Amino acid sequence: MKKLFVFALAFFLASCGQQKKTDEQEFQTAMDSLQDAGPKIDENLVNGILQQIPSPLEIASILKESGSKYESSILNSEDNLSKYNTNFSKALNLGVFGTDLGYTNIYEQSKDGIKFLSAIKSLANDLNIGQFFDIETIGRLASNSKNLDSLLLITTQNFNDINGYLQNQGRSKISVLLLTGGWIEAMQIICQAATKNTKNKDLPEKIGEQQIILGQLVLLLSFFEKEEDMASLLKDLRELENAFKGVEITTTYKESTMKIVNGVAVITDNSTTSIKITPDDVKNITQIVNSMRNKIIN
Amino acid sequence: MRKIALLILISLGAASSQTMAQCNPDNFTTACIPKLATGFNFLKSYKIDGDGGAKEKVEYSYVFTKGTQYMINICADGSATDGIIISLFDSNRNRVASSKIDNQVVSAIAYPCSATGIYYIQYTFDKSAGYCGGSALGFKR
Repeated sequence: MKKLFVFALAFFLASCGQQKKTDEQEFQTAMDSLQDAGPKIDENLVNGILQQIPSPLEIASILKESGSKYESSILNSEDNLSKYNTNFSKALNLGVFGTDLGYTNIYEQSKDGIKFLSAIKSLANDLNIGQFFDIETIGRLASNSKNLDSLLLITTQNFNDINGYLQNQGRSKISVLLLTGGWIEAMQIICQAATKNTKNKDLPEKIGEQQIILGQLVLLLSFFEKEEDMASLLKDLRELENAFKGVEITTTYKESTMKIVNGVAVITDNSTTSIKITPDDVKNITQIVNSMRNKIIN
Repeated sequence: MRKIALLILISLGAASSQTMAQCNPDNFTTACIPKLATGFNFLKSYKIDGDGGAKEKVEYSYVFTKGTQYMINICADGSATDGIIISLFDSNRNRVASSKIDNQVVSAIAYPCSATGIYYIQYTFDKSAGYCGGSALGFKR
């Protein structure tokens, strides 16, 4: 019976031991939290808003569909990597390079995308999230244009895993910066395209509807506004918000119709949105976006 | 001594049965991604954990864009959806889509968005056995 007791106790202790992190992991997590978390904030609330922010891939797809040409010169350069010396600038620029990678992928210019991989890996490693970036697989997929779908899938999954991990670790500040950097870069790309292609009527509308996402980013940054670096970024975003003041988004709700086709509920959305944005609005927004983006990448 | 050993074994048994009943949505979310229809690019995966029936709903939100078509699917244990229903609400909480139409529940919805805004993706349970599943969101232009 004694043996049975000892066995049961050993089994119980072993199960506890498996769930417990190593001291080293706990120390690292604690250090990261000290560096990144700042004042106590409601992580659940922040995470709830973070998950609303759409992927920059959507903007890249819109651009491609609009007929805008691929331009590698508008993307960040991996040569800038040495300028990023704080977690703040590293996280913002990881977002920037992530958007650039997505843009090259959507335009099937994966060879350009490969240039960003070492910068992405380096920034991710410095932020202790390098383990989520499967650079080898991404590099292999990027070397063959037939792998586009898999490439898009794995890069999206990697960024989602990073954000999920950061949020679980209470490091949502880094997640906020990743998304903000990615969004500013996507805005810069679409604003450049709209400036070069003034006849395209869809692009100003696409810029205008970013007002909704900007509102969510301002809300996210406001949770961290007691921190100097975040307050400065928030100030710039609020200035950008001012440039959007003239943009009017009007939505009219009308009940959808639904039917089942081949086991899928196919919806006809009868609601509509109209977006009013003037060329001057686009010009002002573009100026502020460019200025913010220059601050981030230089 | 015998009683103590027995108590520990019972506790261990209870703990392990609890672990077995626990919802592990990760496998379902992973399974759902390749089930998005051809042409849809994966955006997000969502965990659906109804806490064994304690939760009435699980909800996420996302900004949908006019002119983009979205697909949301469900993966669960047992029957195709295990009674998990997707409903989509706009920012004013108007229901714009559902995976339950005329009492028939399907495992995916295709939603061509014509009004940009924040949308709420809600998962509810209708005679679900496991209250556990996963879901993937994809888009195409």
